[in-house]
Amino acid sequence: MSTNHDPYYIDFPGRIKMIQQEMEKEGLDVYLGSRLRTLSWTMDAFCPWRSYVVIPREGLPVAFTFVIDAARVADDSWLDEDHVRGYAPMGGQDQITQIADFIKDELKCGKGRIGYETGISNYLPEGNLTQYEYEAFRAALPEATFINAHHIVDRLSLIKDEGTMNRFREASRLTDIGHRAVYEALINGGFKNLTETEISGIATYAMRKAGSEWEWTFTGGNEIASGYRTGYAGGACTPATRRKLQPGESLMVDLHAAFKLGLGDSTVNYLLAPVTERQRWHANNYVTIVKACLKKYRAGITPSEMASEMMAIAEEGGFSDYLVPGFEHGIGMVGDEWRIGSHEGPIPYWTDPNHRYQAGEMIICAIQYACPEEQIGFRYEAPIIIWENECELLPKCPLEVLEIE
Amino acid sequence: MPVKYLSPEWKEEVEARLKKELTPERMNYVTSSMSNIYLNCPDGKPRFMFFRYENGELKEFLVGEGEPPEAEFRITGDYATFAQISQGKLGSQLALMSGKLKLKGNMVKALKLASIADRLNKVLAKVDAEY
Repeated sequence: MSTNHDPYYIDFPGRIKMIQQEMEKEGLDVYLGSRLRTLSWTMDAFCPWRSYVVIPREGLPVAFTFVIDAARVADDSWLDEDHVRGYAPMGGQDQITQIADFIKDELKCGKGRIGYETGISNYLPEGNLTQYEYEAFRAALPEATFINAHHIVDRLSLIKDEGTMNRFREASRLTDIGHRAVYEALINGGFKNLTETEISGIATYAMRKAGSEWEWTFTGGNEIASGYRTGYAGGACTPATRRKLQPGESLMVDLHAAFKLGLGDSTVNYLLAPVTERQRWHANNYVTIVKACLKKYRAGITPSEMASEMMAIAEEGGFSDYLVPGFEHGIGMVGDEWRIGSHEGPIPYWTDPNHRYQAGEMIICAIQYACPEEQIGFRYEAPIIIWENECELLPKCPLEVLEIE
Repeated sequence: MPVKYLSPEWKEEVEARLKKELTPERMNYVTSSMSNIYLNCPDGKPRFMFFRYENGELKEFLVGEGEPPEAEFRITGDYATFAQISQGKLGSQLALMSGKLKLKGNMVKALKLASIADRLNKVLAKVDAEY
């Protein structure tokens, strides 16, 4: 476990205490977390297998993960091996039996109130309790009461602490390194015959050499799009393909790095020579809106206000037809990568359009500019920290669309 | 001459064999304890078998009726299942994976001890017993 002299230190026991305070207020005896975001936020370990964290009203949590990965999770986590247990397909060792026995026998909470996590998500690895799991836990703990309580972690994880911010700053430094490697591979005609997957690999190698753990997103790692693929309507998801780059087209390089569960997510866009004036017009529009967005982000503003103001600028510039009217997505430690942390808006489990940003929140400033009929588009993604009167842009790579000879 | 399974004579012979055949080195200098809980015994009484090793040395080996002492691992199953394992007719892994036995205890640690448990069972299987 890191110490508080470490810039990346996070007070995980303190996080558990905060959850326990909320549990007390809400009369919960146990919090059964299953979402990837909850596991990352409470354990400081990546849990790719189905995992659960059981938080008692007092004392340390106990995590349960697939036995083949439990020793590694314990090693990565701040919890010791007695607090990271493995489940297995054996009598008495399946996940439901183990967790139910733990709640009944060790926590003596078989008749208690159990907070669990359910809901809906557009993000596949969210990790809400499945119906099967819910019913199996109900059957194994017939005297317990189950209450959906994910809002506790959502609220607590909204404002980022210094260690989290520093992990994100470092992850952005890593994506900058990836962008530099890609740029060097593209220039002086180097782009010819390169494929999108090769570009992804070049960036990955550079970022990993510099310390990135993986290209975290579940949308296919680094997202690279070239030519017509940059112009998908609303297309903010472009896993790299084997498509070869062609002269005269656009290229979108959206890199992902991970550092101690902090995430880098930044995009640089290119025009590959020969470049037309019409392509430059699109590129200038895109840069105009990126700059306007970054200038506007600060505490007090809401997603809907951002959208109104940005779309007004685009309307005035004659390019609103090409812009997706949304300028953010949420971000947090691995598993928290879509909606903005809390969701109390009109459409359940989506970002509240009237959420008022506060200092210390982090989001991805996200812009999608696409003109499918001209087979051109640009994407901007960059982690930002919201401060009182400005935002802090974490990546340092160029905002401009770079022209490559 | 066969001895009755789980009888004092059987226990005595098992203990002697365990001490002779499973040296601390063969036991990987393990420190742990395990109790097998026998349900549905022929006479209807629940029984247990309890092992405690310290640095690979057998410190305690008990066979009895009722509740066993506290152990790091607790394996529960029918008498018939344990009897098959002790005769070498059923693997303990298969018995666990098919749900015939139920294990309580840290599964990660149990994985590390799986081969040692097999060694114990092989010694038990050598005892000429009447089931």
